[in-house]
Amino acid sequence: MGAEVIYEVRDASKSYGSVKALSGASLKLHAGEVIGLVGDNGAGKSTLVKVLSGAHQPSEGTILLDGEERTWGSPREALEAGIETLYQDSGLAPHLTVSQNLFLGREQMMPGILGKLGFLARKRMEVQGHDDLERVGIAVPASNRPVSALSGGQRQAVAIGRAVSWARKVIILDEPTNHLGARQAGEVLNVIRAAKAKGLGVIFISHTLPHVLEVTDRIVVLRLGRIVRDAPTSQFTPDSLIAAITGSADAEPGPTSAE
Amino acid sequence: MTDSTHTTLATPRPAADRAAAVRDFLTAQSTLLLGVLAVLAIIFTILEPKFLSVPTASNILTDWGSVVLIAVGQTFVIISGGIDLSVGAVIGLSGVVAAWTMANVLDLEQTVKGPDAWFGLFIGTLVSVGVGLLVGLINAFLINILKIVPFIATLSTMGAALGLSVVISEGAPIGSANDFALISAISPQSNPLSPALILVILVVTVLGLYLHKSKFGLYTYAIGSNAFAARAAGINVARHLTWVYALSGALAGLAGMYVYIRLGAGSPSSGTGRELDAIAAVVIGGVSLMGGVGRMLGVIIGALILFTVQSGLIMIGVEPDWKKVVVAVLIAAAVAAQVLQKKDGR
Repeated sequence: MGAEVIYEVRDASKSYGSVKALSGASLKLHAGEVIGLVGDNGAGKSTLVKVLSGAHQPSEGTILLDGEERTWGSPREALEAGIETLYQDSGLAPHLTVSQNLFLGREQMMPGILGKLGFLARKRMEVQGHDDLERVGIAVPASNRPVSALSGGQRQAVAIGRAVSWARKVIILDEPTNHLGARQAGEVLNVIRAAKAKGLGVIFISHTLPHVLEVTDRIVVLRLGRIVRDAPTSQFTPDSLIAAITGSADAEPGPTSAE
Repeated sequence: MTDSTHTTLATPRPAADRAAAVRDFLTAQSTLLLGVLAVLAIIFTILEPKFLSVPTASNILTDWGSVVLIAVGQTFVIISGGIDLSVGAVIGLSGVVAAWTMANVLDLEQTVKGPDAWFGLFIGTLVSVGVGLLVGLINAFLINILKIVPFIATLSTMGAALGLSVVISEGAPIGSANDFALISAISPQSNPLSPALILVILVVTVLGLYLHKSKFGLYTYAIGSNAFAARAAGINVARHLTWVYALSGALAGLAGMYVYIRLGAGSPSSGTGRELDAIAAVVIGGVSLMGGVGRMLGVIIGALILFTVQSGLIMIGVEPDWKKVVVAVLIAAAVAAQVLQKKDGR
């Protein structure tokens, strides 16, 4: 792979009152790399995701994007810097059309005075939205149909397609294959591969370990707020991954670096 | 690489799109509502032939004019997932404050004519809209900053506005301007297509376009549909809702001036119960009280249906006191119809 480090956290800790949810977590993400973030409930996954996506600021530690130290005041700032996060079930606005959802918050306006008055270039966004989704490997019946008319899998695909087509550097996917059937989950994994091919850094959070083993290049295991394993996916078997998550593999030596 | 990972969620069917568009139009809420309106007009005409007349149409349009303004504001509010109960009281308050300003500050005589009268009405309109805007901003403050649910927030401002209008007017209408020359010239009472009504139609058309074609409208739908997703997409939800309630308030202020022009006086009770009319028009028009759904054209026709029923019932001899009961029944029926429609769709 040999690509440059695109996103990095060093020694990040986060406490909520007296509870230390994350302690000394360090993580490097390369361009075109898919990292799987796994751990039991309460292991610190969602805290780490919030730190990475700009929703929370770490109590200690630094964040580097393209080698430059950054602090995120809000998810919006991270978003503008090129980091897209797809939250679990944050989903889409069901009453809006596919293209309205794709462009939500980043609408294209009509040219000239009408645009200045706030009028939208609807047709242009419909055409471009369709193309954007195709580019990341998603075909949706019609981008002018409301999202509520789509199946659960299609909706999830649109949500991910939205994140992938907007992301410029990093995309964080929190449980994107939850509640999906096998075929639909397979489609989501394909979109992740498309994001990787696009040169994005992908952080994939999931409880579904077969998906993690299938699509990731590297797996980071969190337990009790600490990163306990960080190794290429090829070094894991389903059993050793479960062992790492539950902590029954403490005896295992295991290097904690990808390179 | 991208092509090889292409997934097929469904086959695109561009050819079927046009047929679908035609079908959409025929089954669209507004087409159905126009049908309902026509059927109602036919029934009332059969029962009372005098129903089909210019004076009746003029009456219906005049009533429509005062309520459609607040119904349009209510449409934005309800699509955003909220509700504004204060609009009826704001009609009374803004009318009273405008009338008081014209009578006491501008010192306008009731019989004044010419440029002075126009100037007076212009200032009156500004004051009236300003009062509404202020109440709307207070609503937004209560909802966004104090986190009071819209129902309770606007219920309190409704009470406050009602009380204030009685305090300011000392309970009696301000001005009885039957001979306020300009008022009678532009009042809908004297002319079915009066300047006042034309102004209302203009405002409603522009705001209808704005709801469906602009970013402001889109964000209104997005917030009502899924506020969390809207926030995640970077929309400043609180700021947007502030504008939505301000718009609703300003429109109620404009309606207050419309009612003032119509009555020739600012009366504290002139808008009482109008919020129910507005909500009725909105739900008859197919706007979901759950937010995220609805078309402006539906609301405009919904308001017409509301007043067609009201004036038709009076013409066939139903006591006017039954009016509020009828409005309540229409609201319940419209919401029930929406629920049934939704069940059908699933």
